[in-house]
Amino acid sequence: MTRNTRLVMSIIYWAFVLYVFMPLVLMVTMGFKDSKFIGFPIKSWTLDWYLGVVQNSEVLSAFGYSIWIGVTSTAISLFVGIWISVLLNGKGFYGKTLIYGLTLLPALIPGIISAISFRIYAQLWGVSPGTGAIIWCHAVHNVPFVVLIVSARLSTLPKSYLDAARDLGADPLIAFIRVALPYLKPALIGGGVFCLLISFDDFVRSFFLGGYQPTLPVLIFAKLRSGMSPEINAIATVVLVLTGALGIWAERSMRRLNKGN
Amino acid sequence: MSGKVQSSTPALPSDQGAIPQTGGARTFWGGLVASGVYQSFSTALLSSPKRQFFILAVFPVIWVITQHLGPMLQMFYVSMVDAYPVAPSYENSFTLDNYARFFREAIFVMPFIRTLVFASVLTFCTLVLTFPVAYFLARHVKRSNQMIFLLLLLIPFWVGEIVRTYAIMILLGNNGAVNLLLKSIGLIDRPIPFMYTGFSVSVGIIYLSALYMLLPLYSALEKLPKSYTDAAADLGAGPWTRFWRVTLPLSLEGISSGATLVFLISTGYYATPVLLGGPSTTVFAETIAGFFHTAGDQWPTGAAFACLMFITALGITALFGRFMTKLQKGIRR
Repeated sequence: MTRNTRLVMSIIYWAFVLYVFMPLVLMVTMGFKDSKFIGFPIKSWTLDWYLGVVQNSEVLSAFGYSIWIGVTSTAISLFVGIWISVLLNGKGFYGKTLIYGLTLLPALIPGIISAISFRIYAQLWGVSPGTGAIIWCHAVHNVPFVVLIVSARLSTLPKSYLDAARDLGADPLIAFIRVALPYLKPALIGGGVFCLLISFDDFVRSFFLGGYQPTLPVLIFAKLRSGMSPEINAIATVVLVLTGALGIWAERSMRRLNKGN
Repeated sequence: MSGKVQSSTPALPSDQGAIPQTGGARTFWGGLVASGVYQSFSTALLSSPKRQFFILAVFPVIWVITQHLGPMLQMFYVSMVDAYPVAPSYENSFTLDNYARFFREAIFVMPFIRTLVFASVLTFCTLVLTFPVAYFLARHVKRSNQMIFLLLLLIPFWVGEIVRTYAIMILLGNNGAVNLLLKSIGLIDRPIPFMYTGFSVSVGIIYLSALYMLLPLYSALEKLPKSYTDAAADLGAGPWTRFWRVTLPLSLEGISSGATLVFLISTGYYATPVLLGGPSTTVFAETIAGFFHTAGDQWPTGAAFACLMFITALGITALFGRFMTKLQKGIRR
């Protein structure tokens, strides 16, 4: 009986894995098709589309632009997120629950609403659409994720560590920087990479807050509107591989560091 | 050495400053702390617990109010004025007409209802689809392997909305993999037009949001002790009874948070319905976006529509949450 359920369950799991991977595998495969026309079956194969991506200056500049936005917004999110986590993990105060709720708000707002509310808000502050506006919106959107990841780690920091630092004469700030921050390292790597990936792959915010220069997802979207082509497959595959590699690296190093402590 | 003195009052912040070094080896941090600039900074800001707390709290509070709540409030404000952004000479006035427009013009109501129906149905589909997967992960996989099995599912979900939507386009297109497969089996001779229908949009949205359901379900099921179902089995409960009377009721919390997340998030997809849908599947996100592509005079209407959708979606999730809490209480009794 249980063996049967177990078997059915594992079939369902692997079917789900197949469902999740299949479209991506097909997409990667289609990038090797030696024809401008998207569709199966693939009769002849080529590497030209992939080689084209590396030489395409439009793609490369969009790629660099996305990375720049990702790194900058991640840095801001980490700074703010750590600060908020320290406050929320400290002693209780009046309105703490409210602050916690507000902290998580951006993660719950549907994408389109988040994007247009920021479009309006940027207008209020006189920020015109462009790099600054995208970075700003991505940074705000990512803060809740940093807070969740960092708080989880911070709550496991033994209080005695900080007390010891204080006994040895460190003031709260120094104690935080030299004791708590190193302890948070796995969370910072995990949270940072998570933010980077969200920002790098974000479409809707970059689309509504962007200026003339497209980020990589916006560029793919623009190309898609004018028709499917194996070129898009190649670009998307590059994004897929980079995202996967970075994510796996972060996961591994996070686990290793977590184990070490 | 002042450090020794402080150790007697560890809870109090040091007003003596922090001078850990004994004079010999000067570290970077020791030097920094001993420097005059840091000393005056420290006495100004960190000299009492009250000040420390103030310094700690003031920035996060300002941030969440201006950055997290601010855009929402501003959107709400814009939704109730007649023009935004305004020309310098023009004074905008308060109006509810933006909201009235939604009820006046029938073309807006359909996408709105469609979005809510889509989101509800897809939330349910996602739940049914991911529950066995989460259950398998939490109960049947060895604990040491769980992370790897979970990671396998996580990788595709790191890739963004656009790339995954595109992957679905290739899967479902007229010359796509599904049609090719059906044709080669001989089930069909002409491709089934999956694309640009409600079906393709649904597949896309489920594909994008399954993880938001899977993770809360997994963590709820993982916490459920195996002894509970074992006890039920000892008492003679079959697999279905065990599922309906033990597993499901105890995972309601995970279902509740997963469903809330998926529902809210799936109302906000924009690129997916644009790329996978057609004229008959216009969702409200596209309607809202339409007001922001054109000149600024449409912004207040767009803002009003966004507010309407967000408030409705929140209302539905709140009702759902209350229903789930009631259900949980009813079971416990």
